[in-house]
Amino acid sequence: MKILIAIGGREYSKPTLDLGMKIANSFKSSTTIAYVGKKISQFSEKDVSVVHQNLDERELYRPGIRTLEWAYDFLISKEYIQEKVANKFDDYLLVDEENSRMKVLLKGQQSDKIDLIMRTGEIIEQLKNEVETNNHDITIIGGGGNTGIHQKLIQFIDSSVFVVKNYSVKKKYKILLPVNDSKGSDMAIETAINFAKSYKLNVEIVSVPEGNKPIDEVENILKKTKEKFSKNRIRTSTKLIDGTPVNSIIDYAKDNSIIILGVSPKNSIMKYFFGSKPLSIAQKCNCPVLITK
Amino acid sequence: MNESYKVISSSILFWFSQKKWFVYSVLVSIFLLNLTTPVGLTVPAYHSLIILLLVFMLVTFEPIPFPAIALLTLVLQVVLGVAPPNVVASSFMNDAVLFVMGSLMFAIAIVHQGLDIRLAKLIIKIFGKSKRLFLAGLMTISAIMSSFLGEHTVIAIMLPIGLSVIKNIDTQQSDGKNAVLLTLFSIAYGTIIGSIGTPSGGARNVIMINYLQEFSNVSIDYWKWMKHAYPILIIQLIVAYFVLQFTFPSSLNNIKMRGFKKNVGKTDVKKNINHLFSCLIIIGIIFSWFTFNDIYGLGIIALAGALIFMIFGMISWEEINKNTNWGVILLFAATISLGFQINETGASSWLVIKFNELLATLPSNSMNVSWSIMAVLSGLTANFFTSSATVSLIGPMAIELHPTDISFALSSAIASGFSFLTVISSPTAMILYSTGLVSTRMFFRVGILMFCISIIILYLMSQFYWVTL
Repeated sequence: MKILIAIGGREYSKPTLDLGMKIANSFKSSTTIAYVGKKISQFSEKDVSVVHQNLDERELYRPGIRTLEWAYDFLISKEYIQEKVANKFDDYLLVDEENSRMKVLLKGQQSDKIDLIMRTGEIIEQLKNEVETNNHDITIIGGGGNTGIHQKLIQFIDSSVFVVKNYSVKKKYKILLPVNDSKGSDMAIETAINFAKSYKLNVEIVSVPEGNKPIDEVENILKKTKEKFSKNRIRTSTKLIDGTPVNSIIDYAKDNSIIILGVSPKNSIMKYFFGSKPLSIAQKCNCPVLITK
Repeated sequence: MNESYKVISSSILFWFSQKKWFVYSVLVSIFLLNLTTPVGLTVPAYHSLIILLLVFMLVTFEPIPFPAIALLTLVLQVVLGVAPPNVVASSFMNDAVLFVMGSLMFAIAIVHQGLDIRLAKLIIKIFGKSKRLFLAGLMTISAIMSSFLGEHTVIAIMLPIGLSVIKNIDTQQSDGKNAVLLTLFSIAYGTIIGSIGTPSGGARNVIMINYLQEFSNVSIDYWKWMKHAYPILIIQLIVAYFVLQFTFPSSLNNIKMRGFKKNVGKTDVKKNINHLFSCLIIIGIIFSWFTFNDIYGLGIIALAGALIFMIFGMISWEEINKNTNWGVILLFAATISLGFQINETGASSWLVIKFNELLATLPSNSMNVSWSIMAVLSGLTANFFTSSATVSLIGPMAIELHPTDISFALSSAIASGFSFLTVISSPTAMILYSTGLVSTRMFFRVGILMFCISIIILYLMSQFYWVTL
């Protein structure tokens, strides 16, 4: 499994980075930590590039490197990586790769599990390129700022998207898994099993009857889902909730929930113009939300 | 089938989400093309204005690369019957375009020599006695250099100096943060203000000189421009110094000059013979701009500067090729070509007539009102559209307002250099923004005051100083 963690400002990115690394460690996956720098107007892109080269030559940190250095120090402080004399951040080498991608190489770096990279440009385009080029399975991004970005990421990125909102290390989280009979829901169940197993979390399985669907049918879905978790020795509870799916789930979710949802089966054009249930939940909920693909 | 439909529709949607401004711009242009040509305007003139609007939208929102906008501008001029192919081709290249090309290459060659440490030593020597004097020195040196060598050259040389100073500032306290901003803005404002000083300070100045020569047969040499613009530059610099001290009050105790001086002092630059040659070439080129401008043109002299650096092996072609923004050169060439057609087809005259008709409806209609609207419009447009592109498209209208009075054309070009409001307006602002230390909101907050004061200074100078020249 490959995980991409997108970071921005230092303080705001702490929860994203912390949760992202916990997930990466649980799955023993290789991780890329990406900083996407500000989009530069075409008028000035060469001028900016010349100035940045100049800064490198003068051993002054170019923009973005300080954020990556902060991320590196954070990983060391939380013991996600071991610092050795040989891999101090001071001795970094910036390798200019194709398509606005730059990789930070630390002298004496032992592990190929964690990559620090920097990209410049429009954030959605850059993260989409990163996922397509390196086949990441999950993209993890902070929940602050523009909700339009989350919507576009979920819509256009070819990986599962984890929006980390209001995450706190001190809270004991449990998974909230809304299910129905869609293909997306099946994927969400698979992911939730993996998460719950490796992260040792309890799971709340919920379902909201839609339209004229008989209650028996919905209860059957809940029962079958619970069985899947039981086979994996994961503690679960089930609940049937009344109301409209989006509002009911938003109301039901608590601060310590991690919602895992499947991507909507709606066609992309409808989703782009009218949104979808997972998109609305991800935008309105005040807790971490993972949309699986 | 269902899966491939999903992939295709998702790709199309992603393209649309990235290029929506291209789609909107094309739709608006098609809509306008289908309207009846306004009275008093010929069809080619009307079409040239539609292309102008299209270029404005595409350059502002950047949905497609600049070279593509440039090619589209040329193709549309011919396809929509604005001008025949040979006329479009001949208006595509002139001294202003050569200047853009030459000054960009010349800048890369200068920056490549690594003169910043030597310059830092010089600034410390002259202005190192106090911290405030040092910041004033950074601003003044940036302005003087920028007035001759252009913004992009100077900011590339001065920013490493500024960041070396900042490296020694404790940014945990607000006083320290203000000291950082004061240092960065001193360099940025010095560079921006300096670019109005001489024709070689910015491509927009050369474009306006070129238009004046072509459209009004009025010639402005290097010295004449300086006489008009340099006093404005000096007043603006003094004002900017106090505006920045007022906006970012700081005791400057956080600036550890000793650390900065130590770092600069230990770097040995004495043995670098290239620095001496570079300075000689720069002085030679500036001298040529002063004396041979009428004979050879500013563009050819700038190209000669880059050429000398290459001949003496001080920079390779690969380095120049890699760092030259060819897209911008193509775009300027195409917009200048469009500017010529707007003038030739009579579109600029029609716009000026409409503008004057609009002014006639105002209660107090005078030269001052039309000057103010033109100057503010040039300044504002430049802030949202970049200065040189603004002058290449608005320039013909500014000249047409008063073809024999150079104060209108000069004011339009100078006001276009007041790029204090947005980060996209100039390379200096964008480079400052790219450091991540300055936000767009902060740039605007400081810039709005500076912009208004600059327009007032320009007005007063054009009314009371230029008339004496």
